[in-house]
Amino acid sequence: MGVPDQLRIEVRHDPGRVILSLAGELDMASAETLQRALATEELQREPMIVLDLQQLEFMDSTGLRSVLGALEHCRERRQEFAITPGSPQVQRLLRVTGVAEHLPTIATADGALA
Amino acid sequence: MALQTSSLAGGPGEPSPKHRPVGRQELSAHDTAVELLVEAGAVVASSLDLTTTMRQVARLTVPRLADLCVIDLLGEDGSITEVAVASADPELAPALEEMRIRHPLNPEGEHPVARVIRSGRPELLAEMREGLLRSFAQGSEHARFMVEHRYRSAAVAPLLARGRTLGALSVLRLAESAPYRREDLELAGELARRAAMAIDNARLFAQVRGVERRLEAVLANIAEAITLMDRDGRTVFANQAAADLLGAANPRELTSANPGAIMSRFVVTDEQGRELGRDQMPSRRLFAGERPEPLLVRNVVRATGEERWLIVRCSPVLDPDTEEVAYAINVYENITEVKRVQLAESFMAEATRVLASSMDYTETLQQIARLAVPRLADWCAVDVLGETGEIERVAVHHSDPSRIALAEALDRGYRPALDDPAGVAEVIRSGKARIFTDIDPDALAAYARDDTHLALLRDIRATAVIIVPLAAPTRTLGAITLVSSDSSRRLTHADLGVAVRLGRRAGTAVESARLYTERTRIARALEAALLPESLPQIPGMEIASLYRAAGELNDVGGDFYDVMAYGPERWLLVIGDVCGKGPRAAGVTALARHTLRAAAILGQTPAGMLGTLHEALRRQPPGADLCTVCLVTIEPQPARVRMTVALAGHPPPMLIDPNGRCRQVGSPGTLLGVFDPIVIKEVDLELGAGQTLLLYTDGLPEAGRAGLHLDEDSLSELCAEVSHPTLAGMLSRLEQGALRRAGGRLRDDIAMLALRLAEHVDLGTRGSEVRRPKAAPAPAGAAAGSRNAAATAVRR
Repeated sequence: MGVPDQLRIEVRHDPGRVILSLAGELDMASAETLQRALATEELQREPMIVLDLQQLEFMDSTGLRSVLGALEHCRERRQEFAITPGSPQVQRLLRVTGVAEHLPTIATADGALA
Repeated sequence: MALQTSSLAGGPGEPSPKHRPVGRQELSAHDTAVELLVEAGAVVASSLDLTTTMRQVARLTVPRLADLCVIDLLGEDGSITEVAVASADPELAPALEEMRIRHPLNPEGEHPVARVIRSGRPELLAEMREGLLRSFAQGSEHARFMVEHRYRSAAVAPLLARGRTLGALSVLRLAESAPYRREDLELAGELARRAAMAIDNARLFAQVRGVERRLEAVLANIAEAITLMDRDGRTVFANQAAADLLGAANPRELTSANPGAIMSRFVVTDEQGRELGRDQMPSRRLFAGERPEPLLVRNVVRATGEERWLIVRCSPVLDPDTEEVAYAINVYENITEVKRVQLAESFMAEATRVLASSMDYTETLQQIARLAVPRLADWCAVDVLGETGEIERVAVHHSDPSRIALAEALDRGYRPALDDPAGVAEVIRSGKARIFTDIDPDALAAYARDDTHLALLRDIRATAVIIVPLAAPTRTLGAITLVSSDSSRRLTHADLGVAVRLGRRAGTAVESARLYTERTRIARALEAALLPESLPQIPGMEIASLYRAAGELNDVGGDFYDVMAYGPERWLLVIGDVCGKGPRAAGVTALARHTLRAAAILGQTPAGMLGTLHEALRRQPPGADLCTVCLVTIEPQPARVRMTVALAGHPPPMLIDPNGRCRQVGSPGTLLGVFDPIVIKEVDLELGAGQTLLLYTDGLPEAGRAGLHLDEDSLSELCAEVSHPTLAGMLSRLEQGALRRAGGRLRDDIAMLALRLAEHVDLGTRGSEVRRPKAAPAPAGAAAGSRNAAATAVRR
């Protein structure tokens, strides 16, 4: 079983976006931590939310679900949403599940959307 | 200056042999002087009352040495005050006293007393004329007084002690009396010296008394208990706090007690419960020459069973001359409250650990009873309310095992019943804790059902009883009984707090354990309903499945699999993963299986079937129901087995050769239930003789701990390692491999579905006849906790 504190989240505000940098493992045990971080009020007002996955080593289907949930909420609130590429395992998961092309991806957290 | 006194042999008329003959008058004066000094010494030694002493000294001089004697003292404020006057004329003394009050001497003035006090040297005024008198008089009235009384001659000597001038002693002769000479001044000086010593002593004494009184006041009022003990162990001093602490009415009770009598009122033990003797007390060790550390002791009053925790610190009072320890000062700090809290917390921490260690609550409650004795009490029993309302004893403990038999006898013969008016039953019904601090013999007799019962109850020798409910959040599940009996310490209201907390903690644990067992049963039942009990046979092929739940045994998982025939000689293999666990996920797995079945029967293509399921999921109420599926259709042909693989977001199946070579098959597709449109690509392939197709959920590749997840290569390696004559055996090996990589604890459930075409297939003449080899039964010793299904054997 995963451990909740295997996920570390750092929040950074850049002009026009808020960046949540994830490190460690996003799985059944830690997905709720991400959900809580995304639910904070200050994030709702930002024009863009970036999930920076560069330091994320592992993601499972529950973790994926929380990322997809974040995408959905951003769509509802008319916020932009993007991720940065994660570890090979994360990338493989996104590819296998066929969501890679549905998640806007930027090369670095402060990069521009294509 | 010491006067030489010579022995006076015989009468005053006889010359002493050693000295030159002295005149009559001289001898007489000598005698007088000696007499005077001896008497003065006696007076000074006899009383510490300063005023009395001074008056007596003054009186001694009259009339032998003076007509008038005045002793003046220097005050702390620098003023000069008369303290004694004696006169031959009875009216003179009081008059002079009054004069001194009305016209006090000016310390800076020229009065002989003031001068002598300032200089510290004696003065002889052999003849005082009127003019001289007027020159140092304190005003005209004073001058008149002195002249009228015919002051003639004066000798004024300083009162000196330890280098300080305390005042002056004045002797005066009036009128016709012979004027003073040098010797008279010397005598006055001697007198003054003795008087000064007396004054000094009196002052010192008063100072000491003052200090003593202040010290007593301090000691009486500070909170710490302090005693002073001598070498024999006698308490020489004690303050009220000490009396209170040591159970005495007042300090006198302590100081008048014999050595050791006080200590014997208590059972004194150290923190580990070992009894301490007098010799181990810090004060005795101090006298034995050691420097003892502060000692933590537990005092239990024998008479009442009351318990106190004290820190005893001991310091020496050294004899200034011998440097040996004359007394020991004991300071007792009462830390009972702090210590009890500490002990209670440490007990609760251990109890919590015990309760969390196992779901078998009978076992944990027995451990709790063992833990509670003797830390909390001498006896501990735990009763639990059964489903049918009977009260069942699950634990009883006493530090002496032979006494446990007594409790068991009580339990056997006199089980409490839920409708009993008092005792455990009442606590369970009311949910309230009870404490009995005085075991009333009559109440006990009333509670007993018969004489034997009463005898057994008396035999427990209870001094106090506490019964607390096993309090789960919603109801009372039983009770914990604590009894103090043989030990000196008696249960009190102070113990109720810990007992109630224990009852609550244990109650919650019991309820959790019961729910847990309940939930496990439900989960198993659900699982049985949701996963196929048995797999259909596919001619010529071997099929096996394995489902291994991760740690939490009572959560229904989100993995599902299915095998169904959906046409003549067509089968469908499905494996999928509904993200999440619990009842909701279980519902989606049911939806998935049935939707795919229906779609298959309707004749849809693999991609079509997945599309139908996707639509069905999208129509669900929002809640992020998403699902990955791997779907394989099987069409055994005369010479081969045709398969179509369709993936919707699911890890690709492995095709494994008999020689262990593996590769992944299929093409990635979109997971279902999230994005529109989905993209599914069907891939056709064939299964050759001896080949295995392995479908699995992501619990398998992700079984490894951080960094050890199986990528395609390492998964292939694992599959290559696990060849086995039977498919079920291979799946078991895969499960073991996954467990190993996970260090024994899986991150997620693992489901596997595998299909193998037997090595030797007799293709036969008509193509449709295929020899069906017997499917071997699943191997014995399949991993515990997993569900293995093979085509013919079903194992749970």
